[in-house]
Amino acid sequence: MLPLLGRGMVAGALGGLAAGLFSLLLAEPLMDKAIRAEEARSHEHEPAGGAVQHHEELFSRSTQHAGLVIALVVAGLAIGVLFAVAYALVHRRDPRGNPWPRALAFCAAAFCAVSLFPALRYPAAPPGVGDAGTVGDRQEMWLGSVVLGVLGMFLVWQVYVRLAARPVPVRQCAAAVTAVAVLALLWALPDNPDPVPVSATLLWDFRMLSLASHVLMWAVFAGVFGGLGLRALRTKAPVTAAATGYASAAPVR
Amino acid sequence: MSTATPAHSSAQSGTAAIQSATIETRDWLIAAAAAIVALIALYAVFMDNGSLISATGDYLHEFAHDGRHLFGAPCH
Repeated sequence: MLPLLGRGMVAGALGGLAAGLFSLLLAEPLMDKAIRAEEARSHEHEPAGGAVQHHEELFSRSTQHAGLVIALVVAGLAIGVLFAVAYALVHRRDPRGNPWPRALAFCAAAFCAVSLFPALRYPAAPPGVGDAGTVGDRQEMWLGSVVLGVLGMFLVWQVYVRLAARPVPVRQCAAAVTAVAVLALLWALPDNPDPVPVSATLLWDFRMLSLASHVLMWAVFAGVFGGLGLRALRTKAPVTAAATGYASAAPVR
Repeated sequence: MSTATPAHSSAQSGTAAIQSATIETRDWLIAAAAAIVALIALYAVFMDNGSLISATGDYLHEFAHDGRHLFGAPCH
Protein backbone atom coordinates (compact mmCIF):
# COMPACT_ATOMS: atom_id res chain seq x y z
CA MET A 1 0.00 0.00 0.00
CA LEU A 2 2.64 2.55 1.02
CA PRO A 3 4.84 2.00 -2.07
CA LEU A 4 1.73 2.59 -4.20
CA LEU A 5 1.07 5.81 -2.30
CA GLY A 6 4.63 6.93 -2.99
CA ARG A 7 4.33 6.08 -6.68
CA GLY A 8 1.03 7.96 -6.89
CA MET A 9 2.55 11.07 -5.32
CA VAL A 10 5.62 11.05 -7.57
CA ALA A 11 3.49 10.47 -10.67
CA GLY A 12 0.98 13.14 -9.59
CA ALA A 13 3.65 15.74 -8.85
CA LEU A 14 5.38 15.14 -12.21
CA GLY A 15 2.07 15.09 -14.08
CA GLY A 16 0.98 18.33 -12.40
CA LEU A 17 4.37 19.91 -13.10
CA ALA A 18 4.21 18.93 -16.78
CA ALA A 19 0.67 20.30 -17.11
CA GLY A 20 1.68 23.45 -15.19
CA LEU A 21 4.72 24.21 -17.35
CA PHE A 22 2.78 23.42 -20.54
CA SER A 23 0.04 25.88 -19.61
CA LEU A 24 2.53 28.45 -18.33
CA LEU A 25 3.97 28.54 -21.84
CA LEU A 26 0.80 28.20 -23.93
CA ALA A 27 -2.28 29.07 -21.87
CA GLU A 28 -0.99 32.03 -19.85
CA PRO A 29 -0.71 34.41 -22.84
CA LEU A 30 -4.35 33.55 -23.56
CA MET A 31 -5.42 34.14 -19.96
CA ASP A 32 -3.61 37.49 -19.87
CA LYS A 33 -5.43 38.42 -23.06
CA ALA A 34 -8.75 37.36 -21.55
CA ILE A 35 -8.10 39.47 -18.44
CA ARG A 36 -7.24 42.53 -20.56
CA ALA A 37 -10.46 41.98 -22.52
CA GLU A 38 -12.40 41.72 -19.25
CA GLU A 39 -10.89 44.98 -18.01
CA ALA A 40 -11.81 46.67 -21.28
CA ARG A 41 -15.40 45.37 -20.92
CA SER A 42 -15.80 46.60 -17.35
CA HIS A 43 -14.45 50.03 -18.38
CA GLU A 44 -17.11 50.19 -21.05
CA HIS A 45 -19.80 49.49 -18.50
CA GLU A 46 -18.54 52.06 -16.03
CA PRO A 47 -17.32 54.92 -18.18
CA ALA A 48 -17.41 57.76 -15.63
CA GLY A 49 -14.22 56.68 -13.88
CA GLY A 50 -16.29 54.45 -11.60
CA ALA A 51 -14.03 52.18 -9.58
CA VAL A 52 -13.66 48.86 -11.34
CA GLN A 53 -14.76 46.91 -8.33
CA HIS A 54 -14.68 43.49 -9.97
CA HIS A 55 -11.08 42.68 -9.12
CA GLU A 56 -9.14 44.28 -6.39
CA GLU A 57 -5.88 42.58 -7.21
CA LEU A 58 -4.34 40.65 -4.34
CA PHE A 59 -1.55 39.28 -6.49
CA SER A 60 0.28 40.49 -9.56
CA ARG A 61 -0.22 38.53 -12.76
CA SER A 62 3.32 37.12 -12.52
CA THR A 63 2.55 35.75 -9.03
CA GLN A 64 -0.60 34.18 -10.43
CA HIS A 65 1.50 32.65 -13.23
CA ALA A 66 3.65 30.95 -10.57
CA GLY A 67 0.48 30.10 -8.66
CA LEU A 68 -0.77 28.20 -11.68
CA VAL A 69 2.20 25.83 -11.63
CA ILE A 70 2.13 25.43 -7.85
CA ALA A 71 -1.63 24.84 -7.81
CA LEU A 72 -1.34 22.13 -10.46
CA VAL A 73 1.56 20.41 -8.65
CA VAL A 74 -0.38 20.42 -5.35
CA ALA A 75 -3.49 19.16 -7.16
CA GLY A 76 -1.37 16.48 -8.89
CA LEU A 77 0.02 15.28 -5.54
CA ALA A 78 -3.47 15.09 -4.05
CA ILE A 79 -4.88 13.34 -7.12
CA GLY A 80 -1.93 10.91 -6.96
CA VAL A 81 -2.79 9.98 -3.37
CA LEU A 82 -6.47 9.39 -4.18
CA PHE A 83 -5.50 7.50 -7.35
CA ALA A 84 -3.17 5.19 -5.38
CA VAL A 85 -5.84 4.43 -2.78
CA ALA A 86 -8.45 3.66 -5.46
CA TYR A 87 -5.91 1.58 -7.41
CA ALA A 88 -5.07 -0.45 -4.30
CA LEU A 89 -8.76 -0.97 -3.47
CA VAL A 90 -9.65 -2.10 -6.99
CA HIS A 91 -6.71 -4.52 -7.19
CA ARG A 92 -6.74 -5.72 -3.56
CA ARG A 93 -7.78 -9.29 -4.48
CA ASP A 94 -4.96 -9.66 -6.99
CA PRO A 95 -2.15 -7.17 -6.28
CA ARG A 96 0.41 -9.00 -8.45
CA GLY A 97 -0.79 -8.14 -11.95
CA ASN A 98 1.33 -6.45 -14.61
CA PRO A 99 1.57 -2.83 -13.40
CA TRP A 100 2.00 -1.25 -16.88
CA PRO A 101 -1.33 -2.14 -18.56
CA ARG A 102 -3.05 -1.62 -15.21
CA ALA A 103 -1.63 1.89 -14.90
CA LEU A 104 -2.69 2.75 -18.45
CA ALA A 105 -6.23 1.42 -18.00
CA PHE A 106 -6.65 3.07 -14.60
CA CYS A 107 -5.34 6.40 -15.88
CA ALA A 108 -7.67 6.24 -18.90
CA ALA A 109 -10.61 5.67 -16.53
CA ALA A 110 -9.47 8.45 -14.18
CA PHE A 111 -9.01 10.82 -17.13
CA CYS A 112 -12.60 10.19 -18.23
CA ALA A 113 -13.96 10.47 -14.68
CA VAL A 114 -12.30 13.67 -13.47
CA SER A 115 -11.11 15.40 -16.66
CA LEU A 116 -12.90 14.52 -19.89
CA PHE A 117 -16.50 14.01 -18.74
CA PRO A 118 -16.67 17.11 -16.48
CA ALA A 119 -14.91 19.11 -19.24
CA LEU A 120 -17.51 18.04 -21.81
CA ARG A 121 -20.40 18.93 -19.51
CA TYR A 122 -18.92 22.10 -18.00
CA PRO A 123 -16.17 23.27 -20.37
CA ALA A 124 -13.42 25.40 -18.87
CA ALA A 125 -13.96 29.16 -19.00
CA PRO A 126 -11.16 31.72 -19.33
CA PRO A 127 -10.67 34.42 -16.68
CA GLY A 128 -13.31 37.11 -16.94
CA VAL A 129 -16.06 34.57 -17.49
CA GLY A 130 -17.94 33.53 -14.40
CA ASP A 131 -20.33 35.43 -12.15
CA ALA A 132 -19.26 35.66 -8.50
CA GLY A 133 -22.93 35.34 -7.56
CA THR A 134 -23.34 31.91 -9.15
CA VAL A 135 -19.97 30.43 -8.16
CA GLY A 136 -21.49 28.34 -5.35
CA ASP A 137 -24.06 26.75 -7.66
CA ARG A 138 -21.49 26.19 -10.38
CA GLN A 139 -19.18 24.50 -7.89
CA GLU A 140 -21.93 22.11 -6.84
CA MET A 141 -22.67 21.22 -10.48
CA TRP A 142 -19.00 20.75 -11.33
CA LEU A 143 -18.41 18.63 -8.22
CA GLY A 144 -21.53 16.67 -9.12
CA SER A 145 -20.13 15.94 -12.57
CA VAL A 146 -16.81 14.76 -11.09
CA VAL A 147 -18.56 12.54 -8.53
CA LEU A 148 -20.86 11.08 -11.22
CA GLY A 149 -17.80 10.53 -13.44
CA VAL A 150 -15.95 8.61 -10.71
CA LEU A 151 -19.01 6.54 -9.73
CA GLY A 152 -19.69 5.92 -13.41
CA MET A 153 -16.19 4.59 -14.00
CA PHE A 154 -16.61 2.19 -11.08
CA LEU A 155 -19.84 1.06 -12.72
CA VAL A 156 -18.00 0.52 -16.02
CA TRP A 157 -15.40 -1.56 -14.18
CA GLN A 158 -18.10 -3.61 -12.44
CA VAL A 159 -19.86 -4.27 -15.77
CA TYR A 160 -16.56 -5.48 -17.24
CA VAL A 161 -15.79 -7.69 -14.22
CA ARG A 162 -19.26 -9.20 -13.93
CA LEU A 163 -19.33 -10.22 -17.59
CA ALA A 164 -16.12 -12.23 -17.09
CA ALA A 165 -17.73 -15.36 -18.56
CA ARG A 166 -18.58 -13.59 -21.85
CA PRO A 167 -16.25 -13.10 -24.83
CA VAL A 168 -13.95 -10.08 -24.68
CA PRO A 169 -15.72 -8.09 -27.45
CA VAL A 170 -19.02 -8.38 -25.57
CA ARG A 171 -17.39 -7.21 -22.34
CA GLN A 172 -15.65 -4.28 -24.02
CA CYS A 173 -18.78 -3.17 -25.88
CA ALA A 174 -20.85 -3.38 -22.69
CA ALA A 175 -18.24 -1.32 -20.84
CA ALA A 176 -18.14 1.30 -23.63
CA VAL A 177 -21.95 1.57 -23.72
CA THR A 178 -21.96 2.03 -19.93
CA ALA A 179 -19.36 4.81 -20.25
CA VAL A 180 -21.45 6.60 -22.89
CA ALA A 181 -24.57 6.23 -20.70
CA VAL A 182 -22.69 7.80 -17.78
CA LEU A 183 -21.62 10.69 -20.00
CA ALA A 184 -25.21 11.20 -21.17
CA LEU A 185 -26.38 11.12 -17.54
CA LEU A 186 -24.27 14.22 -16.85
CA TRP A 187 -26.81 16.24 -18.86
CA ALA A 188 -29.31 15.56 -16.08
CA LEU A 189 -27.32 18.18 -14.15
CA PRO A 190 -28.41 21.82 -14.65
CA ASP A 191 -26.73 23.97 -17.29
CA ASN A 192 -24.05 26.50 -16.47
CA PRO A 193 -26.07 29.72 -15.97
CA ASP A 194 -23.30 32.20 -16.83
CA PRO A 195 -23.05 34.19 -20.07
CA VAL A 196 -19.76 33.80 -21.94
CA PRO A 197 -18.91 37.26 -23.28
CA VAL A 198 -15.61 36.44 -25.00
CA SER A 199 -14.69 35.77 -28.60
CA ALA A 200 -15.34 32.27 -29.91
CA THR A 201 -11.72 31.89 -31.02
CA LEU A 202 -10.34 32.70 -27.59
CA LEU A 203 -12.88 30.41 -25.93
CA TRP A 204 -12.11 27.49 -28.26
CA ASP A 205 -8.34 27.93 -27.89
CA PHE A 206 -8.62 28.15 -24.12
CA ARG A 207 -10.78 25.04 -23.87
CA MET A 208 -8.47 23.07 -26.16
CA LEU A 209 -5.44 24.10 -24.08
CA SER A 210 -7.30 23.21 -20.89
CA LEU A 211 -8.14 19.76 -22.22
CA ALA A 212 -4.62 19.34 -23.59
CA SER A 213 -3.12 20.06 -20.18
CA HIS A 214 -5.45 17.45 -18.65
CA VAL A 215 -4.35 14.92 -21.28
CA LEU A 216 -0.70 15.76 -20.65
CA MET A 217 -1.11 15.39 -16.89
CA TRP A 218 -2.70 11.95 -17.19
CA ALA A 219 -0.24 10.78 -19.85
CA VAL A 220 2.74 11.69 -17.67
CA PHE A 221 0.95 10.24 -14.65
CA ALA A 222 0.34 6.92 -16.42
CA GLY A 223 3.91 6.67 -17.70
CA VAL A 224 5.49 7.44 -14.32
CA PHE A 225 3.07 5.33 -12.25
CA GLY A 226 3.35 2.33 -14.57
CA GLY A 227 7.11 2.74 -15.01
CA LEU A 228 7.71 2.91 -11.26
CA GLY A 229 5.52 -0.19 -10.87
CA LEU A 230 7.64 -2.08 -13.40
CA ARG A 231 10.83 -0.90 -11.71
CA ALA A 232 9.55 -2.09 -8.33
CA LEU A 233 8.91 -5.53 -9.86
CA ARG A 234 12.45 -5.63 -11.31
CA THR A 235 14.16 -4.61 -8.08
CA LYS A 236 12.01 -6.95 -6.01
CA ALA A 237 12.66 -10.01 -8.21
CA PRO A 238 16.41 -10.38 -7.47
CA VAL A 239 15.71 -10.09 -3.72
CA THR A 240 13.24 -13.00 -3.77
CA ALA A 241 15.66 -14.92 -5.98
CA ALA A 242 18.46 -14.34 -3.46
CA ALA A 243 16.21 -15.39 -0.59
CA THR A 244 15.43 -18.69 -2.30
CA GLY A 245 19.07 -19.26 -3.21
CA TYR A 246 18.80 -18.84 -6.97
CA ALA A 247 20.73 -15.59 -7.14
CA SER A 248 24.11 -17.23 -7.78
CA ALA A 249 22.66 -19.15 -10.71
CA ALA A 250 21.18 -16.04 -12.30
CA PRO A 251 23.26 -14.43 -15.06
CA VAL A 252 24.98 -11.21 -14.01
CA ARG A 253 23.63 -8.26 -15.94
CA MET B 1 11.88 -32.89 19.28
CA SER B 2 10.61 -33.70 15.85
CA THR B 3 7.03 -33.39 17.17
CA ALA B 4 7.76 -30.05 18.81
CA THR B 5 9.01 -28.39 15.62
CA PRO B 6 5.72 -28.24 13.67
CA ALA B 7 3.88 -26.81 16.70
CA HIS B 8 6.58 -24.22 17.13
CA SER B 9 6.58 -23.22 13.45
CA SER B 10 2.78 -22.99 13.28
CA ALA B 11 2.79 -20.70 16.31
CA GLN B 12 5.46 -18.65 14.58
CA SER B 13 3.51 -18.39 11.33
CA GLY B 14 0.44 -17.41 13.36
CA THR B 15 2.39 -14.54 14.91
CA ALA B 16 3.71 -13.59 11.49
CA ALA B 17 0.18 -13.56 10.08
CA ILE B 18 -1.01 -11.33 12.93
CA GLN B 19 2.01 -9.07 12.38
CA SER B 20 1.40 -8.75 8.65
CA ALA B 21 -2.31 -8.10 9.28
CA THR B 22 -1.34 -5.35 11.74
CA ILE B 23 1.05 -3.82 9.23
CA GLU B 24 -1.64 -3.96 6.58
CA THR B 25 -4.16 -2.25 8.86
CA ARG B 26 -1.58 0.39 9.72
CA ASP B 27 -0.86 0.99 6.03
CA TRP B 28 -4.56 1.39 5.25
CA LEU B 29 -4.93 3.86 8.13
CA ILE B 30 -1.99 5.88 6.77
CA ALA B 31 -3.57 5.75 3.32
CA ALA B 32 -6.92 6.93 4.69
CA ALA B 33 -5.23 9.83 6.50
CA ALA B 34 -3.35 10.75 3.30
CA ALA B 35 -6.61 10.63 1.33
CA ILE B 36 -8.25 13.05 3.80
CA VAL B 37 -5.30 15.44 3.52
CA ALA B 38 -5.51 15.12 -0.28
CA LEU B 39 -9.22 16.02 -0.27
CA ILE B 40 -8.54 19.08 1.89
CA ALA B 41 -5.75 20.12 -0.50
CA LEU B 42 -8.05 19.72 -3.52
CA TYR B 43 -10.71 21.76 -1.74
CA ALA B 44 -8.17 24.48 -0.99
CA VAL B 45 -6.97 24.65 -4.59
CA PHE B 46 -10.22 24.23 -6.53
CA MET B 47 -13.15 25.08 -4.27
CA ASP B 48 -12.12 27.66 -1.68
CA ASN B 49 -13.70 31.10 -2.03
CA GLY B 50 -12.20 32.60 1.08
CA SER B 51 -13.97 30.38 3.56
CA LEU B 52 -11.48 27.59 4.28
CA ILE B 53 -9.58 29.53 6.94
CA SER B 54 -10.97 32.97 7.62
CA ALA B 55 -7.46 34.41 7.89
CA THR B 56 -6.63 33.41 4.32
CA GLY B 57 -9.42 35.56 2.89
CA ASP B 58 -9.31 35.38 -0.88
CA TYR B 59 -5.57 34.70 -0.95
CA LEU B 60 -5.83 30.96 -1.69
CA HIS B 61 -8.45 31.59 -4.34
CA GLU B 62 -6.49 34.35 -6.06
CA PHE B 63 -3.17 32.50 -5.86
CA ALA B 64 -4.64 29.38 -7.50
CA HIS B 65 -6.81 31.55 -9.79
CA ASP B 66 -5.17 30.63 -13.11
CA GLY B 67 -4.88 26.97 -12.14
CA ARG B 68 -8.60 26.85 -11.38
CA HIS B 69 -9.56 28.39 -14.70
CA LEU B 70 -7.24 26.08 -16.58
CA PHE B 71 -8.37 22.95 -14.78
CA GLY B 72 -12.00 23.82 -15.47
CA ALA B 73 -12.93 24.49 -11.84
CA PRO B 74 -15.58 27.19 -11.41
CA CYS B 75 -14.20 30.62 -10.60
CA HIS B 76 -15.66 34.08 -10.25
